[in-house]
Amino acid sequence: MKNKGLGEFEELVLLAVCILGDGAYGVSVKSEVERHSGRSVLLGAVHITLYRLQDKGFLKSEMGGNSAKRGDRRKRLFKITETGMQQLQTSQDVRQKMWQLIPQLNAGS
Amino acid sequence: MSSSKKHQAPRLAKWLAHKLIKETYIEELFGDLQEMFEDRISTKGKSYALLMYWLDTFHLLIGFSSIGIFKTQNNNTIMIKNMFKIAWRNAIRQRQFTVLNLLGLSIGMATCLLIGLYVYDEISYDQFHAKGDRIYRINQPDIWGNWDKESASTGPNVALALKEDIPDFEELTRIRSLRGLVMKYEEEGRRTISFEEDLNFAVDENFFDVFSFNFIQGSPETALIEPKSMVMTVETAERYFGYEDPIGKSIDVKHYDGTWHPYMVSGVLDNVPDRSHIQFDMLVPMNSHRKQMESDDWKWIWTAFSTYGLVQEGTDIEALTKKIQAVPPKWAPPTTERIFNQTFDEFTAGNPWTLFLQPLEGIYFSERPPFHRFGPTGNPQVVGIFGVIGILILLLSVINFMNLSTARSANRSKEVGIRKVLGSGKKSLVIQFIFESVLYVVISTIFALGLIELLLPWFNTFTNKNLVLLTFLMQPAIILFVLSFIVLVGVLAGSYPALYLSSAKPIETLKGKLSSGFKSKGIRNGLVVLQFTISISLIICAYFVQKQISYSSKLDVGYVKDNILQIHNIEQIGFDSEVLKTKLESNPAFTHVGKSFGVPPNIWSGDRYKTDDPESEVVYISNVRTDEDYINLLGLEFIAGRNFDLHRSNDKYGIILNEEAVKMLGWKSKDKSPIGKKLLIASGDEDDFEVIGVVKDFNFRSVKRKIEPLMIIHHLNDRVWDYGSGISFLSMRLNPEGVSNSEDLQRVIEEVKSAISDIDSSIPFEYSFMDQDFESTFRTEQRMGVVMNFFTAMAMVIACLGLFGLAAFSAEQRIKELGIRKVLGAKAYQLVFLFTSEFTKLIAVSVLIASPLAYYFTDLWLEDFAYKAPIEIWVFVVAAIGALSLAIVTIAYQSLRAAHRNPVDTLKDE
Repeated sequence: MKNKGLGEFEELVLLAVCILGDGAYGVSVKSEVERHSGRSVLLGAVHITLYRLQDKGFLKSEMGGNSAKRGDRRKRLFKITETGMQQLQTSQDVRQKMWQLIPQLNAGS
Repeated sequence: MSSSKKHQAPRLAKWLAHKLIKETYIEELFGDLQEMFEDRISTKGKSYALLMYWLDTFHLLIGFSSIGIFKTQNNNTIMIKNMFKIAWRNAIRQRQFTVLNLLGLSIGMATCLLIGLYVYDEISYDQFHAKGDRIYRINQPDIWGNWDKESASTGPNVALALKEDIPDFEELTRIRSLRGLVMKYEEEGRRTISFEEDLNFAVDENFFDVFSFNFIQGSPETALIEPKSMVMTVETAERYFGYEDPIGKSIDVKHYDGTWHPYMVSGVLDNVPDRSHIQFDMLVPMNSHRKQMESDDWKWIWTAFSTYGLVQEGTDIEALTKKIQAVPPKWAPPTTERIFNQTFDEFTAGNPWTLFLQPLEGIYFSERPPFHRFGPTGNPQVVGIFGVIGILILLLSVINFMNLSTARSANRSKEVGIRKVLGSGKKSLVIQFIFESVLYVVISTIFALGLIELLLPWFNTFTNKNLVLLTFLMQPAIILFVLSFIVLVGVLAGSYPALYLSSAKPIETLKGKLSSGFKSKGIRNGLVVLQFTISISLIICAYFVQKQISYSSKLDVGYVKDNILQIHNIEQIGFDSEVLKTKLESNPAFTHVGKSFGVPPNIWSGDRYKTDDPESEVVYISNVRTDEDYINLLGLEFIAGRNFDLHRSNDKYGIILNEEAVKMLGWKSKDKSPIGKKLLIASGDEDDFEVIGVVKDFNFRSVKRKIEPLMIIHHLNDRVWDYGSGISFLSMRLNPEGVSNSEDLQRVIEEVKSAISDIDSSIPFEYSFMDQDFESTFRTEQRMGVVMNFFTAMAMVIACLGLFGLAAFSAEQRIKELGIRKVLGAKAYQLVFLFTSEFTKLIAVSVLIASPLAYYFTDLWLEDFAYKAPIEIWVFVVAAIGALSLAIVTIAYQSLRAAHRNPVDTLKDE
């Protein structure tokens, strides 16, 4: 069952976590993904993905930072791990390579 | 910090998630949910936020549910997944049936649970007292009139005598209502806060040893020891003192004799729970009125008290009841002798002065006695009617569900055949069918809960309750009920197709030989008849309930009750009220102004009277003290004698009777005119009243009751014992020409208000209109009417859903038959007729059964009313035609579709 690759949505989430730096948790990741991808995403999907990424060792997390708006509940803050960074890099490289292999297309024809 | 939390997320969703999601995830997930909820409220509005909250919660549930069936992969879960898959495919294939099935059952369950919620609330009063199982109220007969009637009121000495004689009582405590006292709190240098308090009771100092009310400040042991101390609820304390500490502050209370006394606040209680039959705002110790309480003369007949006893643990209540019967004959005689000059036996006229022990939990909901003065009483009739309707509606929807499940399973015979050929065992087929039907019931239940959540605010306003779904659902009994309902209905509805289809031979089913079976058709038809019988009866009954309510509110009460403005608290003004009256009389907005002690429909005082004939029987006659103008204001019609005339010196000692009183006193039969006859108070007072007039009967109480005997006494008659005391009113009949719109009315009311505050500004200004007072006596019935209409509509919707489903099913089954008929030359309209008549026959049978049923129940309900709206035949006819046409419309779509199908399409297979 352990599939070490990255799904498309997983990649988006991982990227969002990177962008957010110290402020990555459920809601912020959700809105970041929505902002960039332009599609609407359910909170549950984000959470599931975050946990899956953590299980795969791409993310680590800790609890912290409560606010009144959250009814005084703390949030789980996610951070990318070394392996996570590598994985992102790998998938980026794979894509890059594949793009380069596409024969040059003539936009006008 | 928690005060900055602005919005409340749906509690049901939260609760559900708490149950199903692992504790470790809860904090962050709910934090996120709450945060998004707040954001959405501010950007997109509350309802969107609520909807999304639910959606997100469900989504999280699926992902994080600790049930884990979505994650682990073993043989069992694969099977369950497969069952889900099959169920889903079937649901999608017959989308129409699926929706009908779920909708019908959800509506039925929601209605039934809603009613269950109401009934549960009604029957669970007074359960918060720690010693509740040992508390009994001591009731006695209504010694003032009907000795057969039980009354919740006793004299104060019942408690004292029981304390003296019967050691089985651990405590005995009394409550007396002190209605309508005006109280004020003068803040130093600031404004005076003043209220008229109706929920103010005098209680014994051991009140809190018996009843458990929660103290916030002060202690139950000491709060009621000092005379003129006062214990109040938080809400009341806030009314007077705002957020200041109430303990030790003093409130001035105007006693009934007009003198002001300071009371010191010694304790603050939590607000009285809704479900308590004793509802108070403030309590004062009984010894605050020491003088009144110590005079011993009338202590067995001053029935203004309720007596409650706390019995020792393990007391045999039956034996105790026997034992206490000795108390009244032993202690009451001195009172009857002194007050009435009668021996005990003469006073009771042979009736036993029984003392009853009524358990606390039964008080609210008991009809025996039907009334007490400390809080709400339940209406077992309404609860009974609702309960029956709830069960009927549930029955309707369950029938529907089973009917449709059974019917549509016939279409799956091929599936079953193939499965069997492929090696499926009988057991797994049975499980599949039952699983599907249980799944449907589970989904409907969830829908139903959502539906209740939506309907509850509306339902609460109409039933005047504060019902909360969650606390109801937490009751073990309710959980058990819902679970067993799911299993029972699911298994029942699934078992027929499960057993029948799974035992069929695969070769036959694959050949298409298996019909749905004629046996089951008979049952299905019977069920349709039952459904329509129930809903048609409900419609007819609901109509008559409405009719009775409007009939009663329009009933001629014997005078014109519209346009009468009544000013309360006139007794506070004392004898200056004549000045006020003269002033108001000069106002052109009024045609009449009159004073009275009590106004219809709330005339409750009365006494026992007899004629001067020594043989005469004692009659209980209601009385009201008025002036001569009030009689003119009402426009009462004299059939003998005349109104009071103060130019005749003795007229203020005369009385005016109504016809019923004359009849009860037995005067009418012997000789023509009762004028000039004498009436005496039965308690032996030598003063007599001369009859100077007789008026036609008029309703002085709710028109639910028959007109009872009444005497009108002049308010200046200083020979009656309660001369000058008691609450009084000034009534004005508005001049319709001067007061034609609401602005005029507002202006007139302001004028009256300022006229009163010119005399004494501390008097609380309160007014009412007589027609509204009459109408409010029907409030319970009105509310019940609205709720019942709603339930009736639900029943009809469910029945129609069922009929629609069955018609669709039948259309499918008979598709070939109709096709052949068409080929052989039948016209479309003939087919429609053929198809429709099959169902209309069933409805016709239902009408025939429903009509006498509805008649019977309507008649039963109307028995409680003195004036009944006639039961008209046309209502039955209209209901019958209505039901028939509704049924025809319901199946019209199916029958038209079936009739217009091209036979080529329908006959092409085989």
